[in-house]
Amino acid sequence: MAGTRSAEKPGFWIAFLVVVAVLAVVPLWFPNSFWQRLLTEVLILGLLAMSSDLLIGYVGMVSFGHALFFGTGCYGAAYALTWTESPFALWLALLLGLAGAAVMGIFVAFYSTRLRDIYFSITTLVFAQIFWVIVFTWTDVTGGENGLVFSPPRLSFLGLFAAEFTTMSMHWFVLAVVALCYVFCRRVTQSPFGKVLQAIRENEPRTRAIGYNVERHKMGMVMLSALVAGLSGALYGIFNAYAAPDYFFFLQSGETVIYNVLGGIGTLAGPVLGAGVFVLLKELFSTYWSPEYYLIPVGLLFTIMVIYMPQGLLGFLRHKLNE
Amino acid sequence: MRQEGHDRRVDENVWRPGTITRRRFVGVGAASVAAAGTLGAAMLVPSPWRRAFGSEKPIRVGGIQPLTGPAAGGGLMAKVGQEVAAERINAAGGVNGRPLELIVEDSEGKPAAGIRKTRKLLTRDLVDVGQGGFMSNVCIACMPEYRRARIVNMIGVCLDTTITTSRCDRYTFRPFDYAPAQAVAFAPYLVNNIGKKWHILFADYAWGQSTRDAYRDGIQNQGGEVVDTTGIPLGTADMVPFLSKIRGDFDGLFMIFFGKDGVNVVTQAYNLGLHNKYRFAGDGAAVVAGTNLPAQREKALGFVGIDRYLPIFQGPLDTEHHRKFFDAVFEQSKQYDPNGILPDRYSQSNFEALNILKVGMEACDFRGREDTEKLIEALEDLQVYAGDDFPTGDRLLRKADHQAFTNEYIFEVVQGAGDTYQPKVLQVVPWQDTIVPPACQFV
Repeated sequence: MAGTRSAEKPGFWIAFLVVVAVLAVVPLWFPNSFWQRLLTEVLILGLLAMSSDLLIGYVGMVSFGHALFFGTGCYGAAYALTWTESPFALWLALLLGLAGAAVMGIFVAFYSTRLRDIYFSITTLVFAQIFWVIVFTWTDVTGGENGLVFSPPRLSFLGLFAAEFTTMSMHWFVLAVVALCYVFCRRVTQSPFGKVLQAIRENEPRTRAIGYNVERHKMGMVMLSALVAGLSGALYGIFNAYAAPDYFFFLQSGETVIYNVLGGIGTLAGPVLGAGVFVLLKELFSTYWSPEYYLIPVGLLFTIMVIYMPQGLLGFLRHKLNE
Repeated sequence: MRQEGHDRRVDENVWRPGTITRRRFVGVGAASVAAAGTLGAAMLVPSPWRRAFGSEKPIRVGGIQPLTGPAAGGGLMAKVGQEVAAERINAAGGVNGRPLELIVEDSEGKPAAGIRKTRKLLTRDLVDVGQGGFMSNVCIACMPEYRRARIVNMIGVCLDTTITTSRCDRYTFRPFDYAPAQAVAFAPYLVNNIGKKWHILFADYAWGQSTRDAYRDGIQNQGGEVVDTTGIPLGTADMVPFLSKIRGDFDGLFMIFFGKDGVNVVTQAYNLGLHNKYRFAGDGAAVVAGTNLPAQREKALGFVGIDRYLPIFQGPLDTEHHRKFFDAVFEQSKQYDPNGILPDRYSQSNFEALNILKVGMEACDFRGREDTEKLIEALEDLQVYAGDDFPTGDRLLRKADHQAFTNEYIFEVVQGAGDTYQPKVLQVVPWQDTIVPPACQFV
């Protein structure tokens, strides 16, 4: 196993750097800033999907409540940016978003990981919906339905340098965060910790019989997944300069699962691709076909892909290359 | 077991290393490049011209409406109102000799999608002015986008009070009424004609809460009293646990809801017999909208409400302007529903919003987005009068907060011909009597 990993390492790094370079440079040739921003948004939503993939793909736990972590991260960033405009605001926003998601992660991990399969999924959904109601109705604190509007932070490094975010600098910043997260998540899934989680996915009773603490491993992964989702939420808040209760709503969680299924479960990069394809399909069909009925072909395409590409787009692509 | 076997087979197929040949790589790569090229070409294609208009470059008006999702019905009627207005304007020679090109995008009723589509309108379609917006949270999320782009944003439906108070924005205008103005118009009737003591029932979220506050102030300012308020979470199907606790000595039950919540609150309050003790009243036609009446039927009888528009021909609404508007919207709606859909407040406010933009653009000889400052000045304190462009009557678009004041119609639900139920106008409150002090500081 170790030999296989070390053998694919150079190839992986070359491919990784090429993809990152393409994602960094290609937007410069886009005809207008709309497509640049759309790509940035896809990366953020892809990061959310990647966080969900950590659970679905590597532990076999389907979370229908990732919107909770995403929304908390977004509101954490929103509060930070409402309070301060200091040169450290960007980093404070990310930190507060992460902190909020961590608290939620501990809470959900503690109560949900005792359950399996559909019961875990339902519990995560229920937690997310409870917090959605709180955020939606607690208008004095959360802005209620109207959410929180704030000024976007300035891009700064340790307070030494500060500049307004441009469309491209925002894109590069998000790309850097997503790329680092991908490398980190990949490393985690290939670590002994990750291997135990995959063993739990394949055969939980046997993993427990070997002597591993299954609950502790699951809790660890739920918390890690919550942190990554919270980071994506914080980035989304910074990107849109807006936080909304909708980000806690179950539709957000549902779309995240769709990104996973579309892109390829258990691939980490696949969900990012899935998010891109889903957002792009909606955009193209609504613009060039019909703004009222565009979801019909999108839904049909999604159904066809699930039937004929059950392993997702990335899985299908690799399968074809392997042939 | 079967699933485990399937997973393993997929894994083996997907992850089998060392079988990627150059030919396969090139083949798949070429297919990927072709797909990317097709998408790229699609991205570069400009939006289609909606209408031929000589060689004149059109003035682009863009807006978002919820064309999918739970608010799609209302969003569609809002779009119909925009389309009718744009077609009328173009048929009459356009604006300053140039046609209007209307671009309507789907906000899905979500702030994130609304922001994405607004950015598309502003940076890709390069619209000259914005006109649209249905749900308040989406409008509020998108207002900064218009400010950053320095483009006028003429809102079509969004009701939240803060849009022209605490969140007011130099680039955003609301050319129709809002809760404080409705409360000022309605409170005298409530207190003097129905009773002094009221219990307010409201949808417990931002819009419901701000509207509750406006009516509480309005009733108290008229010498009345709000003895209690009850918030019901949005989307609550079973409201009985909330309604059954309502008791005490007061005259009227004032309801602040919309959509299916409006149907639920009226029918369930009626079923509990609250109508025998208290008079039902409510904010706007949100509770007893034309689309809700067929479900509420006799349970809404006697309900007293207020609205800026009613799809009936009575009193000041029995005019040639209104009939033209009514027929045009009904005809246009057949593009989406062969049976046609009756006009509502959403089609009305968008129709008049686009027309007030037209008046402003003509007044300042607007040529494009570079004339935004001229357009803002032309729209500020603009007064327009009843006519084909403004079938519901005169109005003022106040400079201090970019909030309009319109005529308000106080109505009661009565039994119509046969087995139908419809609103009957009780009183018209002229826009001059709806004015409230501005509460806005433009940044």
